[in-house]
Amino acid sequence: MLVLDRVTYRYPGSGRWALPPTSLEVRAGQVVGVRGPNESGKTTLCLVASGLAPVAIGGELKGRALIDGRSTLELRTHELAQRCGLLFDNPSAQLTGLHRTVAEEVAFGPCNLGLPPGTVVERTEAALRLLGIEHLAHRDPARLSGGETQLVALAGLVALRPPYLALDEPVSRLDPERSAQVATAIERLAAAGVGVLVTEHDEELLARVCDLVLDLGGGG
Amino acid sequence: MPAAEAPGRPLGGVVARWPSPATRLALAVSGAGLGLAWGGWVAIAVALGGAILALVAGRGRRLALAGLGLLPVALSSLALNALLPAGAEGVGTALDALARLLAVTLPMTLLFAATPLADLLADLEARGLDRRAVFVLGAALAAVPRAQERAREVVEAQRARGLDTEGTWPRRLRGLLPLVGPLVIGSLIEIEERALALEVRAFAAPGRRTPLRRFPEGPLQRPARWALAGLLTAGVAARVALRLAGLAPPAWLRPW
Repeated sequence: MLVLDRVTYRYPGSGRWALPPTSLEVRAGQVVGVRGPNESGKTTLCLVASGLAPVAIGGELKGRALIDGRSTLELRTHELAQRCGLLFDNPSAQLTGLHRTVAEEVAFGPCNLGLPPGTVVERTEAALRLLGIEHLAHRDPARLSGGETQLVALAGLVALRPPYLALDEPVSRLDPERSAQVATAIERLAAAGVGVLVTEHDEELLARVCDLVLDLGGGG
Repeated sequence: MPAAEAPGRPLGGVVARWPSPATRLALAVSGAGLGLAWGGWVAIAVALGGAILALVAGRGRRLALAGLGLLPVALSSLALNALLPAGAEGVGTALDALARLLAVTLPMTLLFAATPLADLLADLEARGLDRRAVFVLGAALAAVPRAQERAREVVEAQRARGLDTEGTWPRRLRGLLPLVGPLVIGSLIEIEERALALEVRAFAAPGRRTPLRRFPEGPLQRPARWALAGLLTAGVAARVALRLAGLAPPAWLRPW
């Protein structure tokens, strides 16, 4: 279970707490949505849930962030990546831009772990299949649409097999048709047992995919 | 899923099979380095060699464009030196500078025209280069097209808000100023995002990355790379030694 227990966070060099005290739980296969106005701390919440804040970016965390019972503070970034993936709202920044095909791009994470080539290929193919984008495998990542890029970025995280994912406004830059593709992908992930935390303005997406929706800084 | 061998971007002619991306890099860097260090016939030979290889590989147009890009520099340098009191000697200096410029530009242009960046990086990594070094190299080489793309986005966004970026040169220059801020700040934010994106892809994991692609090569390429590295080191060292001793390169290396 991904547990945030009264977490609040301050970025390095900032005197302001960027996240109001927040508690939530995400179980395996559950999709928890979080909504809130701009600047309410949605991105910060995702960074804290994934452990990147404060492990990778520094700053000060109050409260407890636990992934399957282990504090994110105890883990290194590559260990965090295998426990809770983080998808940013800008998918093109999430791709490396250094690979010729989508399959190689998705394989980047498993390759980083030094897994045997057969395992890398198996994980990559499974991630593409789970998100329904096998047909993109040999395409150039730089020539994808926004929705396709978002799905490829998501597949890149899924290939690391994290039990949880934090998705930061995954459809904020997409049109309704592409948003529907991402929603389908989230449903597939949940059905496969992945616990998903999704922050979003899009009420339609939240209503479609979430088991539970929370208001940041407010009630559930 | 790509597995054993990279197809690479198809090359034409006799160079279609033999040089792996790493060997092409060694060839381009050693040629450029020697041409830059020695100038004269060495630079001319490197530039000519690059041009011939480009024609054989079907990349002549790309190289011609690179050469044309140097034309303003070449013409202004020649005009300036011809007008200076040095006269013929000045023109010789300008020609030598042009030959060095071509010797650096043409092999590197040919390298990247004939070798996809992803192939070059994959080959270097498969041959043992550290993942961080590979990524830094790749990011540096991809920085210019990425910056161009971002600049295009910023220009389009500002145009949509009424900014005039066309017309006379003064007007264009005035139009550029409001683009600088968004471009610089946007680039900085993107660098930060990309750094975090690497973390979430387990880039910092210990140990060696799994190489997914191997670039097979004949038995001569590895020794050839070492020989090129040795030649470059010896050539540059000899040129530096001559300069320190206050001596000019031998006359047979100087066409002007």
